[in-house]
Amino acid sequence: MSCTLLTFTSKAVPLSSLAVGEHALVSSVSDAPAGRADRLVSLGITPGAVVTMLQRFPGVVFFCDQTELAVERAVADAILVRPMEDVR
Amino acid sequence: MSCHVVREHVGAGPAVLTLRSRPLRVALVGQPNVGKSVVFGRLTGRYVTVSNYPGTTVAITKGRALVGAEVCDIIDTPGVNALEGDVSEDERITRDVLTSDGADLIVQVADARNLRRALMLTAQIARFGKPMVLALNMVDEAWARGISIDAGDLSAVLGIPVVETVAIDGQGFSDLREALARAAVADTPAGRTSLDRAAWANDLTGRVRRQSALSLSRIPDLIARATRQPLTGLPILAVVLYALYLFVGVFGAQTLVKLLEDGVFGRGINPASIWLVDRFMPIPFAHDFLVGQYGLITMGLTYAIAIVLPVVTTFFLMFGFLEDSGYIPRLAIFCDRIFRVMGLNGKAVLPMVLGLGCDTMATMTTRILGTPKERLIAILLLALGIPCSAQLATILGILGGVSAAALATLFAVVLGQMFLVGWLAARVLKGDRSEFIMELPPIRWPRLGNLLTKTRLRVWWYLGEAVPLFLAGTVLLFVLDRLGALIWISRVAEPVVTGLLGLPAATAQILVMGFLRRDYGAAGLFQLAHTGQLTGVQAVVALTVMTLFVPCVANFLIMVRERGLRVGLAIVGVITPVALLTGAGLNYVLHALDVHF
Repeated sequence: MSCTLLTFTSKAVPLSSLAVGEHALVSSVSDAPAGRADRLVSLGITPGAVVTMLQRFPGVVFFCDQTELAVERAVADAILVRPMEDVR
Repeated sequence: MSCHVVREHVGAGPAVLTLRSRPLRVALVGQPNVGKSVVFGRLTGRYVTVSNYPGTTVAITKGRALVGAEVCDIIDTPGVNALEGDVSEDERITRDVLTSDGADLIVQVADARNLRRALMLTAQIARFGKPMVLALNMVDEAWARGISIDAGDLSAVLGIPVVETVAIDGQGFSDLREALARAAVADTPAGRTSLDRAAWANDLTGRVRRQSALSLSRIPDLIARATRQPLTGLPILAVVLYALYLFVGVFGAQTLVKLLEDGVFGRGINPASIWLVDRFMPIPFAHDFLVGQYGLITMGLTYAIAIVLPVVTTFFLMFGFLEDSGYIPRLAIFCDRIFRVMGLNGKAVLPMVLGLGCDTMATMTTRILGTPKERLIAILLLALGIPCSAQLATILGILGGVSAAALATLFAVVLGQMFLVGWLAARVLKGDRSEFIMELPPIRWPRLGNLLTKTRLRVWWYLGEAVPLFLAGTVLLFVLDRLGALIWISRVAEPVVTGLLGLPAATAQILVMGFLRRDYGAAGLFQLAHTGQLTGVQAVVALTVMTLFVPCVANFLIMVRERGLRVGLAIVGVITPVALLTGAGLNYVLHALDVHF
C-alpha cells in the first residue's frame, strides 16, 4: 500500500537532502512500507512540523519540536519537506 | 475484600459517594522516557528502575498509594508512542491494560517540552472512554528552553485537570493528587486517522504554548552533539570504554577483589571458620562440607562475596551513570549499519549494552524491538556473545593481567562469532527487520540519589539471586565430588576439554558451574588463573568458550518465558556447538601460529 498523506503545492525535497543546520517544514511522508507513516506521525513528524537537520552521517539525525530523532537513510528519503527559504 | 468509600466526579457532574469493592486502579500512561516511573515512585513510595532512555520499563509494575482518604492501586506501564496500529510488544502491554479494563482512571504523564506529541496520545487515550488527568512533567526543562504552557486554558479545552509537575523533585504532586478526584473523560475530536489527531494537536498546541525566542545552549546539549558525531563520538566511546576498564576491570576486579579475597576472606573469614569448624565440629564431613575444597564458606561464599560482588558493584555504579546520562542510545547511530547485516537495526544496541549488566534483564528489553525476527536474533546474540557484568569483569581481571593482545583476541573472536551467527540468522530466519527510527534522550547530569538507589537495589538483587545459587552450586559440586561424579565428568569431557580445547581437566567442572550461573563459572576460572594453573593461551580459550557457552539457568528460563521452550532449546542447541568449535578453532590457530600471550 502506498499513499501520500498531505502535500503542499510548491516543490518538496527529501529530508535526507537537507544540509546540516537547515530548517524545513514537513510536507508529506510516504507510507511504504505500511505503518511507517503512522510511526513517524506518532513521533511528531506531521505535515507542518518544523524540522532541523543536525547530522547526516553515519545516520541521519534531526530535530523536531524538542525531540532528537535518529533514522536510517531510507526513512529520511521518505520524508518530504519544504526548506524554510521556500516557505518565506 | 475491603470496601472504600470515595467521592467521585463523573465528567463535570456533581460529586457522588461510591462504594468500591476494590481500590481505584490508576494507570500511568505516556510516551517513553517522560518520567512515568518517577511519578510512580513519588505516588507509591516504591522505587522502580528509572533511567534516561526510552524502554527502561518493559513490564507492568503495581503499587499502593494513599490519595486523600482513598487507597489506590497505581499501575506503571511501558511507554507508548501510539495505542493504535502496529505497536511493539511493550506498547501492546500498555494497550492491554486499557482495553482489558485493567484501569479505572488514567494519568497521562507528558513531557512538557513535547506538548504536540502528548496531545496526539491524549486523543487516543480519550477513545478508551476513561476519566483522565494530564500531568505536564519536566516543566523545569521546558522553561529552560523558553517554553511555557497555559495549563488553565488547556484544561478548559480538554475538560480534564492539567497539572504541571517536576516529578524528580516532587513538585506539583499535591496538585496531582487533588486532581485525581476531578478526573474526567477528555474532550477530543472524533477524528479517526492519525493525521486528524495531528492537525488538532497542532492547532491546540499553537493556542496554549508560548515559545520565547531565547533558548540557551546548555553544556549537556553540547555533549549531546559531541557524542553522536563520528569525529568526536568515537573518541568519546573509546574514553568511556577505557574508564569502564579502569573502574571495573582494575579497581573492582583487581584492587577490591584482592582486598576481599586475600585479605578479608583469605586471612580473616576462612581461617577463622576453619578453626571454628574444627574446634566445635571435629567431623571430617563437616569440615569438607563447610570449609573444604568445595566448602560452602571457602568456595561458595568466597566466590560470591569476594570475587563477584566487588566487580558487580563497581560495574552497576558505572553502568547506572551511563544509563542516567542518556549516552547509551546514542551509540545506536554508530551501530545501525553493522546491526543491519545481522537482521537488526540500531535500536538493538539498547538490549545488547544492557546485556552487559545482566543478560536475563536484557532479554526482556528486546520487547522494544519492532519485529519477532529482530527479537529472536537479539535474544540469540545476547545468549551467545554478551558477557554479563560479573563475567565481563572476570575477563578483564584475568586477561588484564595477561596482556592487551589477549584481551583483544577474545573480544575480536567473540564479536566476530556474533557477527557471523547474526548474519546467518538474518538469512535463515523468516520475517523482516524494522526500519531504524529512534528517539534520542537528552543528555542529563545523572542524579546521585537515583544512581545510588539503583545501584543499591541491583546489588541487593544480585545478593538475593546469586548468593543462594552460588551456595546451591557449591553443594551440588560437593555432592558430585563425593559421588565421584566430578572425576567422571572430567574424564568424559576430557577429549573435548583437554584434547580439542587444550585446557586443564579441571576446567570441565567449571563449565558445569557456568551453566548454573555464568559468573559462578567465571569466578571458578578466575581462581584457576589466580593460582597459576592457566597459561595465557589457555585463559583466552577458556574465557572465549565460557563467554560463548550456554547462558545461565536464569537466562534460559527467561528465554523460554519470552519465546517458548522450543526456541529456548533451539538456541542452546545452536550455541553449544558454536562455543566449543570456536574454542577448538582458536586453540588450534593460536598453537599453529605459536602465539604466547
